[in-house]
Amino acid sequence: MEKKYWKRLYNWFDERIQFEDIIQFAAKKYVPVHSHSIWYYFGGVTLFLFIIQVITGILLLLYYKGSEDLAFESIQYIMTEVEFGWLIRSVHSWSANLMVLAAFIHMFSVYFTKAYRKPREITWITGMLMLFLAMGFGFSGYLLPWNELAFFATKVGTDIAGVVPVIGKPLLEFLRGGEDVTGATLSRFFAFHVAIMPAIFTVLLGIHLILVQRQGMSEPLGYEIKPENEKKTMPFFPNFLLRDLLLWLIVLNIVALLAVLFPWELGVKADPFAPAPAGIKPEWYFMFMFQTLKYIPATVLFIDGEVLGVLLFGAAGLLWTLVPFWDRKTLRGEKNRFINYLGIFAIMYIILLTILGYLE
Amino acid sequence: MNKLILILLLIVSVHYGMAQKKVDQCIACHKANGDKPAILFSKDLHFAQGISCADCHGGDASKEDMDESMNKNAGFIGVPSGDKISEVCSNCHSDQLDKMNNSAHGKLTVKGDQKILQCTTCHGIHNIVSVKNVASPVHANNVVQTCSRCHSDIAYMRQYNPALPTDQHEKYLTSIHGQLNKKKDANAATCANCHGSHDIRNALDVRSLVHPANLPKTCATCHSDTELMKPYQIPTDQYEKFAASVHGIALLKKGDAAAPSCNDCHGNHGAAPPGLESISKVCGTCHVINADLFAKSPHKKAFDDQKLPECETCHSNHAIIVGTDQLIGTTPEAVCSRCHTETKNQKGYWEAAQMRKILDSLIYEEEETIRLITEAEQKGMEVSEAKFKLRDIRQAKLETRTIIHAFNLVKFTEAANKGFAITSEVKSAGIKAIDEYYFRRWGLLAATLVITILAISLFIYIKRIERRNTAK
Repeated sequence: MEKKYWKRLYNWFDERIQFEDIIQFAAKKYVPVHSHSIWYYFGGVTLFLFIIQVITGILLLLYYKGSEDLAFESIQYIMTEVEFGWLIRSVHSWSANLMVLAAFIHMFSVYFTKAYRKPREITWITGMLMLFLAMGFGFSGYLLPWNELAFFATKVGTDIAGVVPVIGKPLLEFLRGGEDVTGATLSRFFAFHVAIMPAIFTVLLGIHLILVQRQGMSEPLGYEIKPENEKKTMPFFPNFLLRDLLLWLIVLNIVALLAVLFPWELGVKADPFAPAPAGIKPEWYFMFMFQTLKYIPATVLFIDGEVLGVLLFGAAGLLWTLVPFWDRKTLRGEKNRFINYLGIFAIMYIILLTILGYLE
Repeated sequence: MNKLILILLLIVSVHYGMAQKKVDQCIACHKANGDKPAILFSKDLHFAQGISCADCHGGDASKEDMDESMNKNAGFIGVPSGDKISEVCSNCHSDQLDKMNNSAHGKLTVKGDQKILQCTTCHGIHNIVSVKNVASPVHANNVVQTCSRCHSDIAYMRQYNPALPTDQHEKYLTSIHGQLNKKKDANAATCANCHGSHDIRNALDVRSLVHPANLPKTCATCHSDTELMKPYQIPTDQYEKFAASVHGIALLKKGDAAAPSCNDCHGNHGAAPPGLESISKVCGTCHVINADLFAKSPHKKAFDDQKLPECETCHSNHAIIVGTDQLIGTTPEAVCSRCHTETKNQKGYWEAAQMRKILDSLIYEEEETIRLITEAEQKGMEVSEAKFKLRDIRQAKLETRTIIHAFNLVKFTEAANKGFAITSEVKSAGIKAIDEYYFRRWGLLAATLVITILAISLFIYIKRIERRNTAK
């Protein structure tokens, strides 16, 4: 009897949504199994952490007040008075950092397996744009508690943006909402963080996920050339999805452990008139760039060192994003060792400069 | 032979020198004309030392002829005026002029043309005598009058420093120093003993001898001199005691310019020890609440009846130490037990014991609260609000300590209870934070356990599906 009702309910929806098509699609979808299959999961992990970000972010939004006078106090209130507010804030901060880390791993795994090659150029570009947006989320979110460290880190960060030739000054004023980091900057960053960037991110994520589903998982070059009967696969549903779920549970456990054992600190309220405290550091994922700017001499061949650094990183980011278009060798199905060496160099550089930044 | 030549030369030069002195035509003529400066100068210290008029006025003192002796080409300058006066003196006394130029006097000018004073303003002109000579205007007996010629002239002082008082002389006459000076006691401090002579600086200048930070040392130059103070039969350990006192440490070691120096209690120009009655008023200029509470307390009458100096009885004078809680109570180090014992003035004895007990409890509660908040903070809990409230506890403790001066157990208990109420509130916040910390730990354990079981179940389920697929 009960079964009959369920069937009727299912049918009611099926007539309108056509579940069968989706089930058929999922049933026929297979995921390649090879020595690099592990990397397939990092996109899912990033997505899971993003979902956590959205949920905890909405919850924080219920109590957070984005103004110079109330931002710090509202976070303090969330952490002390709101039931489980401390947990929500800590989870939001930790999962944000883990999300950027997972996104970086995902990006490098796609890069090394050359999964960006035709026909997945758009997937790669949307992914790269989402990575930049994730870093933007981190940068804007860092200021929202309006504490001393965040205030001065934002000052330094926006100063760097201000050195970009031609558009530097307008960009700096656009970011800060004026000449200096003030309450206007906070309101602006709040708007970026909870409205503008999520809107863009959602569109990009939609395109990215639709393309992943439409095109399926990319096969590595060595695997691709194998005869069909030698290619090991795994059904996407339920095998791959359940494995994804398993990893999500593990990640959830990690986030919970970090959030409880190492609660995210609030620090001291920002005082725009106070001198900058010692040891201002950007968030870890900006550290390699920040550290590089420190090492570049004040002037290099009549060019301001900082300007040169910003331009170099800008150019590197652009080249990296456009890799599917200039890596012609991979497109022809040939091995491109240069791409691998470049990737290894980039990883080593990021790790080394980040370590140096924290050792200072 | 050589020795003979040397002796002859010596005789000739001495004879020549004497001959020169004998023919100082300036004095010879001007004295004969009855000129006052020449008459005065013949008694001047400089004249006695063989310095001629020409040494200051220029010209040739050896020439009888006026055109020759007072010839401008021979360097005759006539009567020097303005800064030229001091410049003439500085030909020999350059050190003093340098000092004067850097002093408060040296910085001020009349219409920008000349300094407000020259050497002659204080030392006189043609009748200059040694500073040790009672006739000197800068002798200890006269220097006060000399300085007050300007410093007591309201209209004159207004031109240069309208804020500077002009009653120093009047006050000085009422001071112990002034009274001794009146009796021609050369040991009595005069203006120059405290302010210096040529290098007098503004009292706010850190280089001034009377700057608050330097004043104790300045006073100590005389007051720590046992030989000098012997005739007056006063102690000479004030400086040592002051330097080790709470005031001395604040002023001399911590450089707190708001801390009292000698003059804040004794007065400066009218320096004298504060009388019995005025001690609490003097201390009360800074310790307003304490003085007010004491004045309304039952101790006021008791102290007056027994002629006890008010604040000083418990806190001492120059050697005032940091007021610790040990001062109150009935223990040997407590000052209360000097007058109150179990058999004598018992009420005060029991109340003092009670106050100490309450104060000790408040301090214990405060320490316990700090410990709890620190522990919660170390555990990573957000307790900034509770931590901020620790200030209120400190404030309540301070108020409780202050109210001791009312010597009223009821008022004291009221103040202490305010402290206990805040302590209890902050303590609860600390305990709540620590409890919350353990709740989070247990919560995490439970959540992790559930997630882990779910993950393991899922893992087993995946393995089963995959085995089934392989079997197929």
